[in-house]
Amino acid sequence: MGKYFSKEKWSYMFYTITHPMDGYYWIRHRDYGSVPLAILMVILFSFSFTANRLMASFVVNDLDPRGVDLLFELLGVLSFYLLLCVSNWSITCLMNGEGRLKDIAIAVGYGTVPMTLVMVLSTIISQVIADDEQAFYGILIGVGIAYGVIMMLVGIMQVHNYTLGKTLLTLLLTFVAALIIVFLLLLLSNLLGMVYNFFHSIYTELIFRV
Amino acid sequence: MRKLTKFKAVISLCLTLIVLLTTEGITAMADELPYDSYNYDYREYIHYTPAPYIPSRTVSGLDFTYNGEALGAFKTPQDMCLAENGDIYIADTGNNRIVILDNAMKNVKKVITTFNNNGEEDKFNSPYGVCVSERGWLYVADMKNKRVVVLDENENVMQIIENPQSESLDDGFVFSPMKVTVDYADRVYVIAQNMFEGIMVFESNGQFTNFFGTINVEISAWDKFWKRLATKEERANQQLFIPTEFTGIDIDPEGFVYASNIDATGVQGVRRLNPRGEDVIKKGANANVGGDLLIDGTSDYSGASQFTDVVYRDNGIYSCLDRKRGRIFTYDHEGNLLYIFGGLGTQEGTFTLAAAVEDIGGKIAVLDATKANIICFEETEYGRLINEAVSLRYDGDEAEAVAIWERVLELDENNELANTGIGKAYLTAGDYEKAMHYLEIGMARDYYSIAFKRFRNQVLTENLSWILTGIMVLAVAWFGFKAYKKKKKGEDD
Repeated sequence: MGKYFSKEKWSYMFYTITHPMDGYYWIRHRDYGSVPLAILMVILFSFSFTANRLMASFVVNDLDPRGVDLLFELLGVLSFYLLLCVSNWSITCLMNGEGRLKDIAIAVGYGTVPMTLVMVLSTIISQVIADDEQAFYGILIGVGIAYGVIMMLVGIMQVHNYTLGKTLLTLLLTFVAALIIVFLLLLLSNLLGMVYNFFHSIYTELIFRV
Repeated sequence: MRKLTKFKAVISLCLTLIVLLTTEGITAMADELPYDSYNYDYREYIHYTPAPYIPSRTVSGLDFTYNGEALGAFKTPQDMCLAENGDIYIADTGNNRIVILDNAMKNVKKVITTFNNNGEEDKFNSPYGVCVSERGWLYVADMKNKRVVVLDENENVMQIIENPQSESLDDGFVFSPMKVTVDYADRVYVIAQNMFEGIMVFESNGQFTNFFGTINVEISAWDKFWKRLATKEERANQQLFIPTEFTGIDIDPEGFVYASNIDATGVQGVRRLNPRGEDVIKKGANANVGGDLLIDGTSDYSGASQFTDVVYRDNGIYSCLDRKRGRIFTYDHEGNLLYIFGGLGTQEGTFTLAAAVEDIGGKIAVLDATKANIICFEETEYGRLINEAVSLRYDGDEAEAVAIWERVLELDENNELANTGIGKAYLTAGDYEKAMHYLEIGMARDYYSIAFKRFRNQVLTENLSWILTGIMVLAVAWFGFKAYKKKKKGEDD
């Protein structure tokens, strides 16, 4: 297989979307996946999500466009992605998971592709539907998101060589781990702020005295 | 060095000039009106509008003479009522009298201090509410005498409602009527002090019949959960869940009762009660008939609006008076907020303690209890146009309202009601593209969808031949391509 964005990587990604079980297995064992490609997919998902919020037609879209911020949402999606991968990795390391951080990143990143496609498709379809046809729009998005979630689930299951039950258990623990990580980050930023304040007050004290 | 200071002098001179010029512009703006007029859009953002009403006149008791003597200032007047014949009745509570002004508020017609109670002379004690029935009888909520007095045109007592008896009343209940109103069948609706069960209804013979429009207390599941956890002593110390009292009352010609109440959440400050006492008000796009939508903050000036009185005007339009910030909120029959004006202050045209509001032939009059005067507002072109257009729509003449709405748009570009009104007219006229444009600005999603659907069908029917031909051509091309490929493959083999 070629470099990060080679033609093989792209076509293998689409193969994985249609054959998740098989695809993720070889991603783990033969390095058929590509982390930069997965990250690109996450970025594209963020863009398509924002585009849907901004450009879906007036009939289906009740959002205030002033409240949508592309950059902010990109940062949010990326940090959520990072949090999910790291917390899953830290749990599965302790629970005999075979997957590397790299594999988890690919499993989750490729899982966003159906969601991206559906976001783009539904944004286009929303331009031609009326109020009483909103159900189609809703179902389309629902199916896309469900497919993406199933893909992520299968991906995590395959890269770690878990059973379904164990996957669900680790996902639950992943959620707990994510909460702990967030808590620690808050604690860390708070402490760093205190340290900064300490040195800052020393600095101001010196300035006033000298 | 010398050069630099010269340069500095020039700069500072320029700056001073700029400051002077710009501030002059601001002071020129400020003396126009003592309040902002604004409205809330679909997103609940404030958008400032032209003034719908401007203060035209302030009337105080000192302006009048009666029987050759000065009338004297009002003292904490609490209520005001417009009679069928156009006279204005003022409950001059602190002076224990009822003052009757003519419709133009130029002359005092009569002052009632005493009346003939079956041959004996009787007096009011803090007459708090006043109302005139269709046949011209005067109903006075004589608060400290704990009764409602009904007088005919010659100050003879026709009826006295006092000491109501009912199983549903507590034994120690003291009847202190505050506001009173009468419907076409001479049923009397009374708001009494500390009466949380609702408005008290009395038959025309003075018999207490029932409570009306009871406001139910809503207890959230969270509160219930905490109540369950609390011990008996803790529960005794907690705040009681008491429904709010009604504050003001009015009746429309169809017999529906409009009653204002104070809602701490700011969602519903007024109720429209049908003859069975059920609330049938419509709350409009923002699901709110409670005054201001932006009520966050911790200062005395923030918090939900407190409606102290309501007046039914015409064609489904009603105005509510907010004593918290001295504003008047006007709604139409669908609960859309039409316009907001008024404010607190000491300038002419503002209130310190707004007590009652009345519509006197298109003018809005507000009674201020502390300043003891009546502030009259007259409508501007903007206010008149909105009133007219809403009235036309109330009668079902949406097409006729379009010209008026278009004029409203010239004054206030983003008025959602105007845009929706015009959009709906285009929708009926069959110009779907224009209808979509206006309905989108007006945030009328339902009507936009209807317009869009018809527009889509129109486009489809007009271009159906092209679309079908295109599909046919593509299909033929596809099959042709396939056949060609197959043939080529056969040749290669």
